[in-house]
Amino acid sequence: MAQNEMLAMILAGGRGSRLKDLTTKVAKPAVFYGGKYRIIDFPLSNCANSGIDVVGVLTQYESVLLNSYVAQDGRWGLDSKDSGVYVLTPREKADEGLDVYRGTADAISQNIDFIDNYDPEYLLILSGDHIYKMNYAKMLDYHKEMKADATIAVRPVPMREASRFGIMNTDGKGHIVEFEEKPAKPKSNLASMGIYIFSWKQLRKLLVEDMKDQNSDHDFGKNIIPQMLSEKKNLIAYEFKGYWKDVGTIDSLWEANMDLLDPKNPLNLNDSSWLIYTEDISTLPQYIGKEAKVKKAYITQGVRVEGNVTNSVLFTGAVVAKGAKVTDSVLMPGAVIEEGATVTRALVAENVRIGKKARVGSKNSENIELVAKNIKGGAK
Amino acid sequence: MSVKAFGIVSSPDQSIHVEGLQDYRPIGAFSFLGRFRVIDFPISNMSNSDINRIQVYVRTRPRSIAEHVGSGRHYNINSKRGKIQLLFSENSSSRSIYNNDISAYMENLDIIQRMHQDYVIIAPSYMVYKQDYRQLLDAHVASGADVTLLYHKVDNAREYFKNCYTISVNKQKGVQSIEKNLGTANSKNIFMETYCMKRDVFVELVKAASWTSSVYTLSDIVNIKCKDMDVRAYQHRGYFATLTSLEDYYNASMELLDYNIASDLFRAEWPIYTRTTDSCPTQYFDSSKVTGSFVSNGCNIEGNIDNSIIGRSVVVKKGAVIKNSIIMAYATIEEGVHIENAIVDKWAHIIHAKNIRGEADAPLYIKRQDTL
Repeated sequence: MAQNEMLAMILAGGRGSRLKDLTTKVAKPAVFYGGKYRIIDFPLSNCANSGIDVVGVLTQYESVLLNSYVAQDGRWGLDSKDSGVYVLTPREKADEGLDVYRGTADAISQNIDFIDNYDPEYLLILSGDHIYKMNYAKMLDYHKEMKADATIAVRPVPMREASRFGIMNTDGKGHIVEFEEKPAKPKSNLASMGIYIFSWKQLRKLLVEDMKDQNSDHDFGKNIIPQMLSEKKNLIAYEFKGYWKDVGTIDSLWEANMDLLDPKNPLNLNDSSWLIYTEDISTLPQYIGKEAKVKKAYITQGVRVEGNVTNSVLFTGAVVAKGAKVTDSVLMPGAVIEEGATVTRALVAENVRIGKKARVGSKNSENIELVAKNIKGGAK
Repeated sequence: MSVKAFGIVSSPDQSIHVEGLQDYRPIGAFSFLGRFRVIDFPISNMSNSDINRIQVYVRTRPRSIAEHVGSGRHYNINSKRGKIQLLFSENSSSRSIYNNDISAYMENLDIIQRMHQDYVIIAPSYMVYKQDYRQLLDAHVASGADVTLLYHKVDNAREYFKNCYTISVNKQKGVQSIEKNLGTANSKNIFMETYCMKRDVFVELVKAASWTSSVYTLSDIVNIKCKDMDVRAYQHRGYFATLTSLEDYYNASMELLDYNIASDLFRAEWPIYTRTTDSCPTQYFDSSKVTGSFVSNGCNIEGNIDNSIIGRSVVVKKGAVIKNSIIMAYATIEEGVHIENAIVDKWAHIIHAKNIRGEADAPLYIKRQDTL
């Protein structure tokens, strides 16, 4: 791909409030996933692997950690000359009093000056809180091939669930004829993935108009896409068939982690041709103790297991002491399960300590238990 | 903050040869404890000691060291204020007796003389230990000595440390001689081939060695000069391993399977840096049975592992048994294979040979990329 032919902008401002205590201090894109990653590692690594050099990350909610995390662009190999990851938080401007991003489209509008600096032909808009592997260069090829004004990545969802999504109705040849947000009676099962490629000059014009519209929500799904459809622009659906997860809740975050326990899982993080990059931490390799029992588990460096681990995902630096039992659970970085404690169907947050012989979660619970505070030993 | 010393990571001379492993890379590039390479230890020690100008001398087969060390950024060396230089001995062949540390320093003397730092810390690329060089430098400056040597007291020198030097010291920690360990006594001070001295003293010693004899090493000349120079010894405590034979390499690795010893060598406040390969976490299957082992990322484990060290992206198939062994990165151990007391080099594929057993005191070595 030619230099800066396509610039990527990642929308990473959302809180993800249904993730409860996991996102009281960090935004959803910074939430941990898969033993060693944060969710935003996925779109960033996809960009790097797709040959995109410049990525803007639009942050807003609790952005301190996220800003410092993504600013270290060497992690994703985006630190060579003429490339970089740039944190774009809302800022005060001389001629207007804007200080927050009012919607997804507004976040881009407020950074038109940043994008203009690179004078890209195409703009790729991504969400910072989805887990998937995708080659955006191929999507751009399709965008060009179809002579599209905008290309929207879609994925087929089960028809009975389609009313939970933004649904794209197409003419059968890939042309989008209608967009319906959470339709009561869906006509198609192609859900928008929140991944858009626009021809920048066209989008720029639309954004400038949208900024002036008092009644607009300044949102791609609600305003920009419908506007383009009403103008009879060439909108193309790009079908994606791989693994994709929007982990909106504790249950779905847990489930997405559990997906990795299947060695044949479609996300396949072990593919050396499409690596997901993340923070590089200096630790020992994982240590499995003399009396440990580890069955069906996904474990990363720096973990120490002396007890029993079954059907669980263990993040960097997690510790399972002697006699402790961890089953169907996720232990986030630095979580410590002390001697004799039992953790079942739970998600233990970063650096949380479960005391000796404590019991957390239960086998038959309806929902996964999120443990975000230390649990004293002996009882719950 | 940077200290007033630059670092030199030295290369072993041709008298040292580790069976098998060294056919493919210098000792510094040996895999260690699964995810590290031996050279990570001296460079991390220097980086953690605020030494940010480091020269790495490479005598033979530079590819793996060059690839691994690279710009040095993963060692926390800032490319504007600091630098890691890889220096090669170009004027003599690798097996030649002339190709020793002094000849490498002579070839690069102008670079050494141009360093801004007044002091130099020299550490070997074939030993593993943790040491704050600021403490060594402070002790050196405070004592007013010309040269300070790092040593480790051992009580098993008859059996181990065969390729090492020993030093004899008087009560004032003055060094009286440096000699090859001949295994004459168990209690010895093993010289860790780590030096601290002024840059100018170092340059004089290098020149003196080179003028006296073409085959003199730095330790030879310091041994001769300690009669009329003030050479002192500084004691190191903690884990210390020399990797100058296959048995030593194996024993040093196995010793670290005691988690308390390993966690003493790897402290959060003294990180050992290495180059990441971005491999994903390791997958344990329903059938896996793993005990007392260090396992690196990216592995697929269906079989049994006990008291072993597993490198990155190793595949252990169902029913395979690995015991008291070191399996290096990207090796595949197929169904029903039994491996005990062995060192399996990178990319090896064990499929047809079902029984691979070495002895606890004589580990078996399986070649890189070999199919058995």
